[in-house]
Amino acid sequence: MPKRRDILAIVLIVLPWTLLITVWHQSAIAPLLAIRKDDGGEGKKESGGQAQDSKEYCASDKDIIEVVRTEYVYTRPPPWSDVLPTIHIITPTYSRPVQKAELTRLANTFLHVANLHWILVEDSQRRTPLVTRLLRDTGLNYTHLNVETPRNYKLRGDTRDPRIPRGTMQRNLALRWLRETFNANSSQPGIVYFADDDNTYSLELFEEMRTTRKVSVWPVAFVGGLRYESPKVNAAGKVYGWKTVFDPHRPFAIDMAGFAINLRLVLFKPQAYFKLRGVKGGYQESSLLRELVTLNDLEPKAANCTKILVWHTRTEKPVLVNEGKKGFTDPNVEI
Amino acid sequence: MATGMRLKLKTVFVLYFMVSLMGLVYALMQLGQRCDCTEHDLPKDRTISRLRGELHRLEEQMKKVEATKSPHQAPKSTPPTIFVITPTYSRFVQKAELTRLSQTFLHVPQLHWVLVEDSPHKTPLVAGLLADSGLAYTHLHTATPKERKLQDGDPSWLKPRGAEQRNEGLRWLREDRRAPQGADSQQGVVYFADDDNTYSIQLFQEMRGTQRVSVWPVGLVGGMRYERPVVEGGKVVRFHTGWRPSRPFPLDMAGFAVSLKAVLANQDACFDGNAPMGFLESSFLQGVVTMEELEPRADNCSKVLVWHTRTEKPKMKREEALQAQGLGSDNAVEV
Repeated sequence: MPKRRDILAIVLIVLPWTLLITVWHQSAIAPLLAIRKDDGGEGKKESGGQAQDSKEYCASDKDIIEVVRTEYVYTRPPPWSDVLPTIHIITPTYSRPVQKAELTRLANTFLHVANLHWILVEDSQRRTPLVTRLLRDTGLNYTHLNVETPRNYKLRGDTRDPRIPRGTMQRNLALRWLRETFNANSSQPGIVYFADDDNTYSLELFEEMRTTRKVSVWPVAFVGGLRYESPKVNAAGKVYGWKTVFDPHRPFAIDMAGFAINLRLVLFKPQAYFKLRGVKGGYQESSLLRELVTLNDLEPKAANCTKILVWHTRTEKPVLVNEGKKGFTDPNVEI
Repeated sequence: MATGMRLKLKTVFVLYFMVSLMGLVYALMQLGQRCDCTEHDLPKDRTISRLRGELHRLEEQMKKVEATKSPHQAPKSTPPTIFVITPTYSRFVQKAELTRLSQTFLHVPQLHWVLVEDSPHKTPLVAGLLADSGLAYTHLHTATPKERKLQDGDPSWLKPRGAEQRNEGLRWLREDRRAPQGADSQQGVVYFADDDNTYSIQLFQEMRGTQRVSVWPVGLVGGMRYERPVVEGGKVVRFHTGWRPSRPFPLDMAGFAVSLKAVLANQDACFDGNAPMGFLESSFLQGVVTMEELEPRADNCSKVLVWHTRTEKPKMKREEALQAQGLGSDNAVEV
């Protein structure tokens, strides 16, 4: 009898402590992991498979001007993960002198992102050897498509056409390719993002968009004649409007680089495409998004749309005056 | 029996006291750590921690791959460091340019970025970007005197830019740099990289073996598709350029790299900010090398591995209009 009472007493004392410890561990495991990642730098930003073994040497106590890091240069692109959703990046491109440079630096960015699939669609009759070779040499996971925008859709003498915005047919082809390649019922998680070849993307952007459930949005710099355009987010974390000057009453007053769509949604609504003709300037994005989602379903990213993670940069057209009529440089040298 | 029980109870109470004390100490230790307290949504936390664990696992996997690779390489000497000197100045696209530049540099092992701001003091934008970049860097600054600065509206070719900043980078290399001990302290290559150009990763492989000054073609410069040195018999005999070919070194800043040894041996060689347009490169190279000593790279100067791209100034009409009304976009948001 006394033994049983002893045991009961011990159990009654030990039990609450074990409960406390298990509950503590449950809630503590997440911050613990965060702390481990933060050892190498800001873990939240650099999550694309790039931790560092960093040692910092300070040149002087007051003013750190020199930072030396012993860094591993990892295999690029990062190894494929079975857990992370794939980011399918659709980039329309066309031949012009800066094309190779633009695609090169874009590839240099993409090589840092895990589980990236680059769908590069050329505006050409045939796939050009320049792009074919470039894609092959990067080592990225890619799909190379092409469709030529018919000449009657382009203004005579000028490839910039106000009637159909550039890249529309190419983006639509990529959407069609996705729908033909991926089954709506298979559970391969994926995100679709439209990335133009002259914009600038931070690595953090790709990690933000990976958690998209339907359509996620964020601010874009240098669009609409402003420092940045951004969705308006209320206290409940929902998008209720657009902070733009140019026609803020568009259904989706957002730039192509400002949103990402979950692949499941793309496959679930197979009729949703960018409208080809009769689209007013600035309404291109709306022509697709309104078939996919309502304002209420939008997920704001980038700290509730307060951080700039993508810039709508444009590259100057190089002045090639010294080439003259016949061309001064050897046309066989690829640029 | 009673004494037996009493003794038992005392040990139980002592045990209870010790366990509570340990628990308290543990809790106090947890308080001292950083905690990810932004979201109290437990299932979301679990997926986040699961994904973080997955990323960590991938990083460990990559580290293992690197570790198994390294026994095959000669572990004795690290490759010579490439010191990239980049002058930069504050303007709208600065953060975007530096972001995509850092994404390229992250692919190059043993690279040390010397970023020199044209500013009387260091800006938090650049300091923050460098700290987050993951690169080994040195953050310097020096302000261009007013009379040498381009005014708003001056064409870009009016005055040579970045001379003072590049000289400051050279000064740091010569005077301030804490070089590692040993014969390797003079090993290195110095490259002047502007923040709006486009660099391929192969370029850095080509320049690493520079003994004195190596040269290669540059795309989209000098009013032509590319400019390049003409190589015959493995030596540079003249330069293929459409603009002022009679310059001592009709090269672009991006078209050459200098060995650290040559920089340290010729302490007086620097950029002349008062040089006439196009002679900035020559003003420096004249003090370091002769044309016969130039080392041609990039397959005897037949491949373009770097492009002199320029980024358009973003149109800010609406921003300016809004700011006149006092409704400009939030300046707290860094663009």
